[in-house]
Amino acid sequence: MKDIVMEKDQKKVFAKFNDLALGRRDITKHSSKDLPKYSYAVNEFVSVFHPSQMEVVVTKIVEENENTKSFWIKREDGESMPPFQAGSYITLEVHTNGRIYKRPYTISSDTDSLKEYRITIQEEKNGIVSHYMCYDCKENDKFTVYGPFGHFHYSMIRDSSDIICLAGGSGITGVRSMIFDLLKSKKVSSIALVYGTKTVNDILWKKEFDELAKKNKNFKVTYLLSEEKRDDYPYGLMDEELLRSLNLEGKTFFVSGPVAMYQALNEIFIKLDIPNKFIRHEEFRDPLETDEEEIYELTIHQKGNVTVIPCKSSETLVQSMEEGRFSAPVHCTVGVCGYCRSKLLSGTVKTDTSALRKKDVDLKYIHPCVTYPLSDVEIELP
Amino acid sequence: MEKFDCIVIGAGNGGLVSALTLQKKGKKVLILEKGLAPGGLATSFRRGRFEFDVRTHELCGYGGVGNNGEIDSLFERLGIDSKIEMMQAQETFHVIDKLTKDEYTMPVGVDHFIEKMEEYVPGSRDAMTTFFGLCEDIKDALSYLHSEKGTIDEKDLYQKFPNFVQLAPYKVDAVLEKIKMPKKAIEILSTYWVYFGSAIDDVSFVHYASIVYSYVLYGPAIPKYTSHELSRALENEFKSAGGTIYYLSEVEKIDVEDGEVTGVQTKDQTFATSHVIANLSPKVVYGKMIQKENVPVENCQLENERILGAREITVYLGLNASLEDIGLHHSTYFLSNNLNSKVEYKKMQEVFHGNVVGFVPNVINAKASPDGTCILTLTSLIFGDGFDKLVSKENYFDVKEQFGDYLIRCFEETTGISIRKYIEEIEIATPLTFARYTGHPSGAIYGYMAKGYDNLLPRIFSEEEETRIKGLRFCGGFGSRLSDFSSTYLNGEDVAMKTLGE
Ligand SMILES: Cc1cc2nc3c(=O)[nH]c(=O)nc-3n(C[C@H](O)[C@H](O)[C@H](O)COP(=O)(O)OP(=O)(O)OC[C@H]3O[C@@H](n4cnc5c(N)ncnc54)[C@H](O)[C@@H]3O)c2cc1C
Ligand code: FES
Repeated sequence: MKDIVMEKDQKKVFAKFNDLALGRRDITKHSSKDLPKYSYAVNEFVSVFHPSQMEVVVTKIVEENENTKSFWIKREDGESMPPFQAGSYITLEVHTNGRIYKRPYTISSDTDSLKEYRITIQEEKNGIVSHYMCYDCKENDKFTVYGPFGHFHYSMIRDSSDIICLAGGSGITGVRSMIFDLLKSKKVSSIALVYGTKTVNDILWKKEFDELAKKNKNFKVTYLLSEEKRDDYPYGLMDEELLRSLNLEGKTFFVSGPVAMYQALNEIFIKLDIPNKFIRHEEFRDPLETDEEEIYELTIHQKGNVTVIPCKSSETLVQSMEEGRFSAPVHCTVGVCGYCRSKLLSGTVKTDTSALRKKDVDLKYIHPCVTYPLSDVEIELP
Repeated sequence: MEKFDCIVIGAGNGGLVSALTLQKKGKKVLILEKGLAPGGLATSFRRGRFEFDVRTHELCGYGGVGNNGEIDSLFERLGIDSKIEMMQAQETFHVIDKLTKDEYTMPVGVDHFIEKMEEYVPGSRDAMTTFFGLCEDIKDALSYLHSEKGTIDEKDLYQKFPNFVQLAPYKVDAVLEKIKMPKKAIEILSTYWVYFGSAIDDVSFVHYASIVYSYVLYGPAIPKYTSHELSRALENEFKSAGGTIYYLSEVEKIDVEDGEVTGVQTKDQTFATSHVIANLSPKVVYGKMIQKENVPVENCQLENERILGAREITVYLGLNASLEDIGLHHSTYFLSNNLNSKVEYKKMQEVFHGNVVGFVPNVINAKASPDGTCILTLTSLIFGDGFDKLVSKENYFDVKEQFGDYLIRCFEETTGISIRKYIEEIEIATPLTFARYTGHPSGAIYGYMAKGYDNLLPRIFSEEEETRIKGLRFCGGFGSRLSDFSSTYLNGEDVAMKTLGE
């Protein structure tokens, strides 16, 4: 290689070379001696949008119907709630029976009122948290919540400007805030809501929806009853015929409801050849069939500690942790968010790996919130 | 209280390599990571049926069988080379000049690269040959410098590497002009500048040449299972060697007594150690992790002069059609308003500036997403504070979509390829997203700006002098080798060796 000469004078060559370090020393001589600034506008935003957790107090409880209550919550520290995209959920931590439970609940209030969030909880048969909230929770009770989280959102870029919302039961919560948000912001051209409940009394916010439909020509609502026959309401479950009647070509579906509804709809979507792109759904878990009830041992490694608790073949590892008074890191509880991701060190399990990274599936990582033990199991939690 | 020989804060590229290197040398090492996965920015995430690599960058300096680059050799030393699957790109990049609609596709391999340049810019061959000759000189000099432990004698260095010592103080443009590189060839050769997060006339020639050389000589490469695969491999190797790693463990304090590191505290744990390697910004470490009276004034002064490097917006798209159906043929698209990088840099002070890098992993790895689909990520650098001024609590989600929409439009208009109708999954990351996951000041992901006395060589030459708290060193993108993947991996090893030397 030939020599390139930027500077002929050797002395100057060395002076310039040495200046690389010396100049750096000089340049800082006169600068401020204060501790360096480490937090910028963007970092402040992060703490506004994604607080690691929030202590909240229940300000108001509204009985929506026989088995559903709404809870208005605000932060104890007086800060406003984080801005959220319609369709997001928070994770509520409940202490009862000497145990700690965490459950996701979709925010059902409007995206532009951040003094408080509203969550709406329907009592589940034998459900621990939903039962606690609907029967034992009082105004002024305090909770810890995490979030908001989730990806069940409308995207102007990806989604059609004509959307169809299919909601069942308490699945209406996120859809409600989505509809109000989209109509207010005029981001969509039309919304058709099909809202399925068991009976008329189960319909949440009926007056609100009816008024909204009156005011907005581009919003239509259809109520569908599955357990009450009435002349003034259609009867049955969401089926192919109903979907076809919605003029579905090129429209995006937002689906939120009980698991059985997703399963039924999925079959129809496949039959109608609707591309994935047009189907958005709230995060949910496909329940896995479990065999007879067996009791095994669950060994948990976490930050150098080892805990052994019993676990049942019919319960997820997270449910077993709850019962065993082990505080599990969970947010979504349905195998989607990745927060509980753990390494399976030994044992066999039945699990759903569909939301894991490919490499992690190979390396035997699991989401304990959707994992059922088939033997004694040993895992390493984050 | 448990005691470790060394505690590494942050499991980014630098941190993982530092920790693994020390653990392999028989030291007892603990990594404390605030997040849930190894790798820092070298990670991936799932949306629907897609898995997206967070950073669109390809790895340089890999090479693989028969053409081992520095990174491949490093991975061999670390014992992970047989545990990962790397895929080589067939071309370095494809650049489109929006103004003239001219397109240039540059191949892998020095000779091919020179030939192709001669085709585009007749008469460039000599200068290009000189350029790559200088690259070779610089590469040798740098590896000599990195392996030299003691102080460097400039006269001795000049004997060994005259070109290196001559060129060391100069910026990219000065050297390229000196070797009579034709203007058009300078423009094409500067294409990679956006990967540096600093303006081309700020970046030192030595730094630029070493990286470009590494791309051209070895070809860009990506891991088959996204960069998460590399991070997991490093983590697994570290654990197999007996290392300990705790997640969800944000370090709040580094204890310092009489100018020496004594321990580290998280919210709920305290550890004893006399060595800390921080894979994060010194601004954060000196700014809030060490008690004020123990922070050397000179380090504060230095940090107060340092400028954060570029930030970025990235749009991740999962497309529901194949490469052929969509018409995507290149792995890396550089879309430039103006091939003159100085003009471009000025333009890029605006928030919506139209300089976009598109990356299509499926061109290199057909299995990067399910059959009949592909992935396209669009990245745009952010300089200045336009983003911060634009964003508010009320408009953030809308602004995010606006950016996404804009980048897609830029890509479609410049390439003539329509992608919008294929979008099945979309995610948009802004500085806020990067700040959330890394904790870096302002969401900066290129470490500090390579500018003036904060370029590669001044950093390397000053590293020892600036290590004023005994036992505290920095690695990763804010470290002395600057910020790309390869540099942070290599820097991780350097820092581990220096710690070992203490
Ligand atoms: C993203 C998301 C958003 C959600 N949003 C809402 C919302 O807005 N409103 C709302 O009401 N709900 C919502 N849910 C559901 C909610 O999180 C809870 O799952 C629900 O309230 C039930 O919790 P639980 O503790 O009462 O029931 P759990 O105690 O968790 O029980 C759940 C079900 O499992 C059964 N079960 C429990 N233990 C056993 C066992 N040992 N053997 C057999 N079966 C068992 C119960 O009978 C019950 O049917 C949402 C869920 C997700 C994933
Ligand atoms: S808690 Fe979300 S994946 Fe398990």
